[in-house]
Amino acid sequence: MELFRDTHIDFLRVKWICIGISWALIVAGFISIAAHGGLRFGIDFSGGTQIVLKFANRPDPGKIESILKPLNLGLEGVQRYDTPEKNEVLIKVKQQAREGRDITQEVFSALSAAMGGPAAGGKIDVNVKGHDTFATSLAAVDPDNVNGRLGTAAAQHYASIGDAIVAYRSQIGLFRSAADIDRIPNVSPEAKNWLKQNSVIGPFTVLSADNVGPQVGRDLRTKALWAVLLSTGAMLVYIWFRFDVKFGVGAIVAIIHDTLITIGLLSLFNREITLVVVAALLTLVGYSMNDTVVVYDRIRENMKNNRRDPLPKIINDSINQTLSRTVMSSGLTFLVVVALFFLGGEVLNTFALTLVIGIIVGTYSSIYVAAPIVVIWNEIQGRRRPAAAVAKAPAPAAKGAGAPRAAGNRKSGKR
Amino acid sequence: MSHQKVWTRVALILVVLVASVAAYVANGVSRVKTDVTGETTPGVKDYLKNGIRLGLDLKGGIHLVLQVQTEDAFKIEADEAIAHLNEQNREQTLKLGAVTRTGPATFTAVVNADTDTDKLQDAVKRFLPAWQYSRQGTTWAFALSAPARKNIGEEAVQQAVETIRNRIDQFGVSEPVIAREGENRIVVQLPGVDDPRRVKDIIKSTAFLELKLVVAGPSSDRAALLAPTGGQVPPDAEIVEGNSTDQDPTSPKVFYLLQKVAAVTGRDIKNARPSQDQNNRPAVSFSLKAEGATKFDKVTGANIGKQLAIVLDNRIQSAPRIDGRISDSGIITGSFTPERANDLALILRSGALPAGLVYLEERTVGPSLGLDSIKKGVTAALLGALLVFVTMVVYYRRSGFNAVLALILNAIILLGVLAQFGATLTLPGIAGFILTIGMAVDSNVLIFERIREELREGKTPKTAIDNGFSKAFLTIVDTHVTTVVSALFLFQFGTGPVKGFAVTLIVGLAASMFTAVYVSKTIFMLEYGSRERIESVSI
Repeated sequence: MELFRDTHIDFLRVKWICIGISWALIVAGFISIAAHGGLRFGIDFSGGTQIVLKFANRPDPGKIESILKPLNLGLEGVQRYDTPEKNEVLIKVKQQAREGRDITQEVFSALSAAMGGPAAGGKIDVNVKGHDTFATSLAAVDPDNVNGRLGTAAAQHYASIGDAIVAYRSQIGLFRSAADIDRIPNVSPEAKNWLKQNSVIGPFTVLSADNVGPQVGRDLRTKALWAVLLSTGAMLVYIWFRFDVKFGVGAIVAIIHDTLITIGLLSLFNREITLVVVAALLTLVGYSMNDTVVVYDRIRENMKNNRRDPLPKIINDSINQTLSRTVMSSGLTFLVVVALFFLGGEVLNTFALTLVIGIIVGTYSSIYVAAPIVVIWNEIQGRRRPAAAVAKAPAPAAKGAGAPRAAGNRKSGKR
Repeated sequence: MSHQKVWTRVALILVVLVASVAAYVANGVSRVKTDVTGETTPGVKDYLKNGIRLGLDLKGGIHLVLQVQTEDAFKIEADEAIAHLNEQNREQTLKLGAVTRTGPATFTAVVNADTDTDKLQDAVKRFLPAWQYSRQGTTWAFALSAPARKNIGEEAVQQAVETIRNRIDQFGVSEPVIAREGENRIVVQLPGVDDPRRVKDIIKSTAFLELKLVVAGPSSDRAALLAPTGGQVPPDAEIVEGNSTDQDPTSPKVFYLLQKVAAVTGRDIKNARPSQDQNNRPAVSFSLKAEGATKFDKVTGANIGKQLAIVLDNRIQSAPRIDGRISDSGIITGSFTPERANDLALILRSGALPAGLVYLEERTVGPSLGLDSIKKGVTAALLGALLVFVTMVVYYRRSGFNAVLALILNAIILLGVLAQFGATLTLPGIAGFILTIGMAVDSNVLIFERIREELREGKTPKTAIDNGFSKAFLTIVDTHVTTVVSALFLFQFGTGPVKGFAVTLIVGLAASMFTAVYVSKTIFMLEYGSRERIESVSI
C-alpha cells in the first residue's frame, strides 16, 4: 500500500495564509487565557490542596461544599471526578498563606464528623485505614490466638490478614455494611468479629490527596521553566551548528508556535497546567522537533544535489518528498495518543489531550511553519546583505532583483 | 553483505536482547523477594510485573517533602547555653543578673555591679565557643555565630533524616526513599503505604519523653497550685498540663508543678515496646541505657512515695506513684489504643527528632486509584501499540513486520536498561516512553520511504535497501541527537518528573538508534542478504 506517491503540492504558495491561521490560533489562545483570568495552574505550580474522595453512596457536591465552607479553608470547589457510578468527588482548596496547615486532615475530620464517620473513641475506620493498621491492631489483641503475643509468627499472620482486608476493599470499592466484613476471604471469624466490634464503616475513603505548599509550588514552577528554556536553547544552538542559523530560527519558531497554540487550546478546554502537562508539552516539543529536522535534512540534501534550484522550490520538493513519511509517522503516533485519550482514564486524560493537540499542531507546523520561516528568513537575509554591500562600495548598477536572491541562495547552498 | 558479518550482527543483537531481559527479570526477582512477606510463593508473573519500579503516581503511596525547623535546634542550643550560665550563677562564680532568651538563637544576660566581667568573658570563651556577644550597657547580647548556625542546622537535618529512617524502617515499608534535598528539606517516598495519616503522625511526632518528679499537684487551677509557693513558680520548677483521668483525653485539664530538670529523657531509652498495664489496657514499656538506669535508680530510690510524671511532648501522660526503687525500666500508661501504643513504642525506639518538621508538600495516591490508572494506561498503551503494529504491517507488508520486531526489541531494551539503573517509571516517564516509541517508528518509516523512493527511481532492490538505510541514517542521527541534546539539559536542570521524562527519553533514543538502524538492517540482511539477486522487496 502506498499513499502520497510522488506528490507536487505547492505548500509555500499558502504560506501567508498559514501564518495568518497560526497567528489567529495563537491570538485566540491568548484571548481564552485572558478570558479565564490567566492560565489555570494546577497545584503543582500554584500550591494548594486537591483531594479525591470515593463515597459509599452517591455524593452530593453541594452538601459537601456546605460542610466545608465554615472551615475557612479557601475552598475553590467540589466537583464530580471520573464517571458518576464511581461516586468520586474532587475537592480543591486554594493555596494557604503559610506552610504547615494540614488541610487534608481538616477536610477529612469535618466530613467525617458531619457524615457519621468514626468518633475519637479509638475505633478503626475500615474504609480509610491501611493494611498496617489492621495488622498491628489485630496483632495487639490476637483474636486468633496465634502463639504468644507479638511474636514474629503473630505479626506475619496478622500482616496477611491486613493485606486480605485491603485487597477485598479495593475489589468491592468500599465497605458498606458489617456483612461486607463477613465476606472478606482468608480471615478467621474471630478476627472478623473483633474487627466488627472495634471498627466503624466510614462513609468515604481518600483516593488521593495532594498538598503543595507555596514555597514548593514556586520552586517547581521556576525550575520547570528554566529546564524547558535551557533545553530549547540547546536545540537552537545544535540545529544552528548542524544546519544553518535560518534553520535554527525556523525550528525554534515552530516549537514556540506549537507550545503557544497547545497551551492556548488547553486553556480553551479549561484544563489545568500541571507537571504532567509540562511533560506532555516537552514530548510534543521533541516530536515537533523530530518532524522539523526530518524536513530540514531533506532540504539540505536537495540543496547539495540541485544547486541551481531556488530555495522555495527546493523546500517545496523536500516537503513533498517527505510527505508520505510525515503523514505515516504522525498518523501512527496519533493512534497511540488517541487510544490514551479515550481509554487511559482520568489520570492520563489531560496528558493525552495535550499530546493529541500537540501532534496535530506539530505536524502542521513542520510543514507550514518551520519551512516557510526558512524561506522568509532567507528573503530578508538576501535583501539585507546586498544592500549592505551597496552601501560599502557603490557597486556597478544593480542588475535587477534576481541577483541578490541568487547570491543568498548560493550562500545557503554552501553546506 | 557477507554472510559471516550477518551472523556477528545477529549474535550481538541476541546478546543485547538476553542482557536486557536478564536485567529486567533479575530486578523483578530481587524486588519481589524484598516485597513478599506472606507465605505465597511468587510466580513468573510477579517477577515480570515487578521488573521495573513504578512511581508513586502509578503504584500508590505517599510522597512527602518536609522542612526541618532548624530554629528549634538553635533554641535547644540557646537553652543549653542559658542553663550553663545559670548553673555557674548558682555556684556563685559569675553573679549574673537575669539571663533571658530573646529569639531562637539569641539571648541576653544582665551584668550586675558585682559580676566579674573578666570571668564571664573567660567562661564564654571556654564553655560557649559558638556564641558571639556584644555589650550594650549592663546587658550583654549573645547570638549564635554564623558557622555554628550552619553546623547545627546541618546536624539537625542529618539527624532528622536518620530518625525518620529509623521510624520508617520499623514500619516495614519496602523500598522507601528518604533523601535530603537542598539545605533543609527532606524528601520521603513510601510506595504502597495506604494509611497516610498514621505514617505522617509517626514521622512528624517529636516524641520528646521526659520523666520528671512532681513537686505539687494535680490541681484544676494554676493559682491554687502555686498558693504554697506564694503565687510564684519556683525557679527550678515548671507547670505542665495533663488530664484528670489518664485513660480519657477528654477528661478535664489539670495542672502539675514539676521539677524542671528531668530525671531521665527519651535520649536514655534503650528500647521500647507495646505492652499492657495491670488492667490489660494498652501501654508502652521501655528500658533504659546503663547511664540512664543509674540516674533513674538514684532518683526513684530517693523519692519513694512521691509521684513521677511521664511527660511526652510537654504533656503529662500519667503521674504514677513511685512504689520502690526502679532502675532500668518503666511503663507508660495513658489513653492508648493498641495502634497508638504500638506507634509510640516505635517512635521512642527511634529517638526524638532534633527539630520540628513542617510538611511542604504531601501527595498521597490511594492504592486503588494507582491500580486503576495503571490498568487503564496499560490497556490503552497496548491497544495503541497494536494499532501501530497492524498499520505498519498493512502499509509496509513484510518490511512492516520487520519494523514491529525492531520496535518490540526497542521496548525490551528500554525496560531492561531502566531496570538495571533502578529507575522509577512515572507518568512523565511514560510520556518519554511514548516519544521514544514514536521516534523509533518514525526511524523505520524514514528508512522504508527512502527505499520506496529508490525503487521508484528504478534502482535494483538490493541497492535500494542499501541506499535507503544509508540515506535515512543521517536523518535519524540528526533527529535523535537533537532530541537527546535537549533531554540532557532537561535532566541537568529539571526536577523530579521532568528528570524522569529525560532519563527515559535518553535511554529510549539510544535504544532506538540501535534497533532502527542496526537491528532493522540485520533483519533485512537475513532476509535478502544470502541471495545474489533480489527480485523484489516486500515494502
